[in-house]
Amino acid sequence: MRLQYILEQAIANLRRNILVVFSAVVAVLVMLALVFATIVIRWSIDRDIIQWDDNVRVIAFLNDDLSLEEIGTMQAEVQGWDQVDEVIYFTKTQALEEFREIFFDQPSLIEIVEEDPSILPASLRIKPTEAADYSGIRDRLVVMEGVYKVSAAEDAIDALVSRAGTMRGFALWIMVILGAAAVVLIANTIRIAIFARRDEIGIMKLVGAGNWFVRVPFLLEGVIEGMIGAALAVSLVWAFGGPIAELLSTASSASAPPNDFMFRQAFVLLGFGATTGLVGSAFGMWGFLRD
Amino acid sequence: MQDVAKVYDGGTVAVRDIDLEIFKGEFVFFVGPSGSGKSTLIRLMLRQELPTSGQIWVAGKEITALPGWKVPLLRRSIGTVFQDFKLLPSKTVHENVAFALEVIGRPKHVIRSQVPQVLKLVGLAAKADRLPNQLSGGEQQRVSIARAFVNRPLILLADEPTGNLDPATSVGIMRLLDRINRTGTTVVMATHDHAIVDAMRRRVVALERGRVIRDQSRGAYQMGDEPVGVSQGIEHDLNEG
Repeated sequence: MRLQYILEQAIANLRRNILVVFSAVVAVLVMLALVFATIVIRWSIDRDIIQWDDNVRVIAFLNDDLSLEEIGTMQAEVQGWDQVDEVIYFTKTQALEEFREIFFDQPSLIEIVEEDPSILPASLRIKPTEAADYSGIRDRLVVMEGVYKVSAAEDAIDALVSRAGTMRGFALWIMVILGAAAVVLIANTIRIAIFARRDEIGIMKLVGAGNWFVRVPFLLEGVIEGMIGAALAVSLVWAFGGPIAELLSTASSASAPPNDFMFRQAFVLLGFGATTGLVGSAFGMWGFLRD
Repeated sequence: MQDVAKVYDGGTVAVRDIDLEIFKGEFVFFVGPSGSGKSTLIRLMLRQELPTSGQIWVAGKEITALPGWKVPLLRRSIGTVFQDFKLLPSKTVHENVAFALEVIGRPKHVIRSQVPQVLKLVGLAAKADRLPNQLSGGEQQRVSIARAFVNRPLILLADEPTGNLDPATSVGIMRLLDRINRTGTTVVMATHDHAIVDAMRRRVVALERGRVIRDQSRGAYQMGDEPVGVSQGIEHDLNEG
């Protein structure tokens, strides 16, 4: 009965100030949608970085018609250059293996590659002695017989790493600024709710209602506001996260993060929304609901 | 109360040197002009205020040192009635009284049996479904007394309960408080209604500028006053009730 009472109170409060509640929910929604979008984008960036493994900076993709001896000769030649620290021959099988690892969550992609292994060429993966040497190595590889494409990932890696850093900073600032706004807006709705019910609260205190019995409906109201905002943010990003990630990612094969990752983040976000609501209502009640 | 003083911020002395003992089952009037400290004493007993110094016992417990979370428990043993009734306008008579039990977590079946019983006691059983604004002032005050008494408190504190009512209606309210007092409930009432105090002939604690200037059992509002005229009528009515 008490639980029912508390819930009824919280919901009645939410209804009473629907406009103010709306603004608080929107603040939480915008904050958490931006945060969630940032998390999704960062996920794709991180995956791009994995793709360009740190140890392999220059990749020479080889023509499919080369024999093993020819490849051996090429490997030995490249190994002979003084800018080169190490040359690894990466077979088609290994490439497929790596592809499977990266796209473990996308069986349709893996299927395509397995049906037509020529999509993934064999390659020489070359580690420069100095990171800065990569352009020299690239220039020499490009003119080499049997190499059909050279990929020097340095620029991309630099860009990605710095973008990841920017993203992190961006997300943090969004959380701080919009989080503060959301807390203030929720505090405001709580204060209005308390004001609207001040007579009732006065009587409750007079007849000896427990302090928490008086407070909990208001805390709950804030938590509900925060969680509605968070739930909306989650559904919004879930619906549009994939396209956003695709838009911003440098990888040719960008895709939406897997569902279990999304679920985990969604729970974190809901928790975050609830916490924002709780802090907001605590601020709203500050000094108001003492005995 | 032992050596109680209350000084408000800014140095206003509300009450001082109060040594007062009220016994279980007593009916006590606090009388005195506005600002004499009557209401402050009531607020102190409810622990809506903390005394600047001194100690206060309510129902055997020293309440000035009471931790905050125990204050609601103290208030459950005290019923309160005010000049302005403090009813919730959107709730019916029944709901207003039931509210006092709901918020302290009394089970539904208790509420179902207690509320009609106490409404009958105050003579409003027939108007249980009315809203407060459909009632007269006297009836509203009866509702507020019903709400204060529904939890069977040990003590009933009434701060100017007849302040907004005409003399005839006040008589009815006083009869009701008297009946509640006879159930064993201690009644403490702050008032400046001469007629009532003179008619009831109960213990009178007179306050002036925060001090007790007189404490008299079966007293009148003013020293030497004798009940006359209408007041005698009230006394007679009360004895009948």
